[in-house]
Amino acid sequence: MNTPLTHIIKAWVPEKSKVIDFGCGDGSLLKDLIDQKNIRGYGVEIDHSKIQECIDKGISVVEKDIDEGIQDFETCNFDVAIMASSIQCLKEPHLALRKMLKLSKQCIVTLPNLGFWKCRLDLVRGKMPVTPNLPSSWYETKNLHLCTIKDFETLCVEEGFVINERFFLNDKGVKSIAASILPNTFASEGVYLLAKK
Amino acid sequence: MKIKTELIKFDQGLDLECGERLDTFDLMVETYGQLNDDKDNGILICHAFSGNHHAAGKAAYDGMRGWWDEIIGSRKAIDTDKFFVVCSNNLGGCSGSSGPLSINPKTGESYGKDFPSVSVTDWVNSQKLLTDRLGISKWYMVVGGSLGGMQALQWSISYPNKLKKAGIFAAATKSSTQNIAMNEVGREAIRKDINFMDGDYLRHKVKPKNGLKAARMLGHITYSSEEIMDQKFGRKFQDIKSKIEGTVDYEVENYLQYKGEKFSDTFDANSYILMTKAMDSYDTSYSTNGNLEDAMKKIQAKLLIVGFDSDWLYPPKRSKEIQLAAMKVDIDCSCVILKGDQGHDSFLFASERFVNIIKGFLNSK
Repeated sequence: MNTPLTHIIKAWVPEKSKVIDFGCGDGSLLKDLIDQKNIRGYGVEIDHSKIQECIDKGISVVEKDIDEGIQDFETCNFDVAIMASSIQCLKEPHLALRKMLKLSKQCIVTLPNLGFWKCRLDLVRGKMPVTPNLPSSWYETKNLHLCTIKDFETLCVEEGFVINERFFLNDKGVKSIAASILPNTFASEGVYLLAKK
Repeated sequence: MKIKTELIKFDQGLDLECGERLDTFDLMVETYGQLNDDKDNGILICHAFSGNHHAAGKAAYDGMRGWWDEIIGSRKAIDTDKFFVVCSNNLGGCSGSSGPLSINPKTGESYGKDFPSVSVTDWVNSQKLLTDRLGISKWYMVVGGSLGGMQALQWSISYPNKLKKAGIFAAATKSSTQNIAMNEVGREAIRKDINFMDGDYLRHKVKPKNGLKAARMLGHITYSSEEIMDQKFGRKFQDIKSKIEGTVDYEVENYLQYKGEKFSDTFDANSYILMTKAMDSYDTSYSTNGNLEDAMKKIQAKLLIVGFDSDWLYPPKRSKEIQLAAMKVDIDCSCVILKGDQGHDSFLFASERFVNIIKGFLNSK
């Protein structure tokens, strides 16, 4: 797994750190982090086939609904908590972020940007946006709380989350000048490294 | 599948947690498959409270299938074509290992009620001696369900570098108050049987069958679930011809009568009391003043914890406790909660997801 996104995430995760990946999917990211950065990694996942893939890879995985269980790990002292492309699927994203920053020193969050120009264009055309990182139709999507880059950063200010680093990717999943200058319009995805004040 | 059943004698004796010592002891051991040249394909199976060494295949003497036959065998979840699988009857049991039915070398008579109290840790220590005897320096996995899961957990704590992986299924770090309460009802039924004779029934050549039967009937209810009882029996009436007892009305009553009857024919009452006491007294964090993380931080094995959502004896939250403690002290540990309606007994059955998870865990690095 070597996309610009995973490259960014890997660069932010310190060597030998203790990492929890909420919505870890098939465990590929954790596997890479274990192999390349010698981390101690745990995944949290609800999808049975993905849990199976984690176990097949030898990745430690806990079967849990993130909506219900983040606070359970509060006393586990993580260095980094990752939530890649899942925050918008949660019932209460702001509370989830608070809880993540309670159990971990830092928190990596990636989210699709509804302000991306192609999303806006779809809306102007009178249709729900469908883009590479918002691929599902309105009736199939698991996304409950889509937001724009601007919305997300406003929330960070309101909640007192410090944005230590951030990157913006276009809809090809790569960094671009346009996306970094006008992220709310030209970024398809935001990648954040958050910490508490 | 190559099955070998053997009584192995240990002359070096064993110091027990209760302070007493067994100068010699025997373990009834069954093995399946073949130990490889590197001796690194051994899997130790720990049985639950009333199980024994006969975990898989057909027993030579009565053709009975082993208690984990759905899981262990050629191409099954625990594949005997690949692994050398070992299961021993726990000390204090009544299937051939030293226990209340064995002869006490000091008196020349059966131990009966005088067989010393045994604990989960004692079982693990006795199995460590078995491990040495088999020439195995490190188990590929130690695994068990229920009380067997407690043993697998204790194995990973007592001998951290002697196992690579541990499978802890439908288990807990200690019995709950309710678990102890249930067990006490069972024991009380046995003790109040007129033939129990204060535990001395062997000398009087009688057996507290009724008490054992009642205890087992209660036990069966706790191993089952409301859903499976509804499904299997509902409120169906037992047909008259196959009633075990005249008092039986419903099928479920007949089933419990049958199971209780069968069990009381073969199990020993003193063993029942010993085994349930061992279950009640086990507490992973006993030696660390109740601090589970301190107890578990020595673990080097990778853990797989499996709970079952219909299990109300050791419910999923007990599995999650183990997982969370492992995570706190940086131990590799996966935890899944499986659906199913078989209650606590779910771990005995080869449900699809359970099999895949065991296989995945075994085959992964």
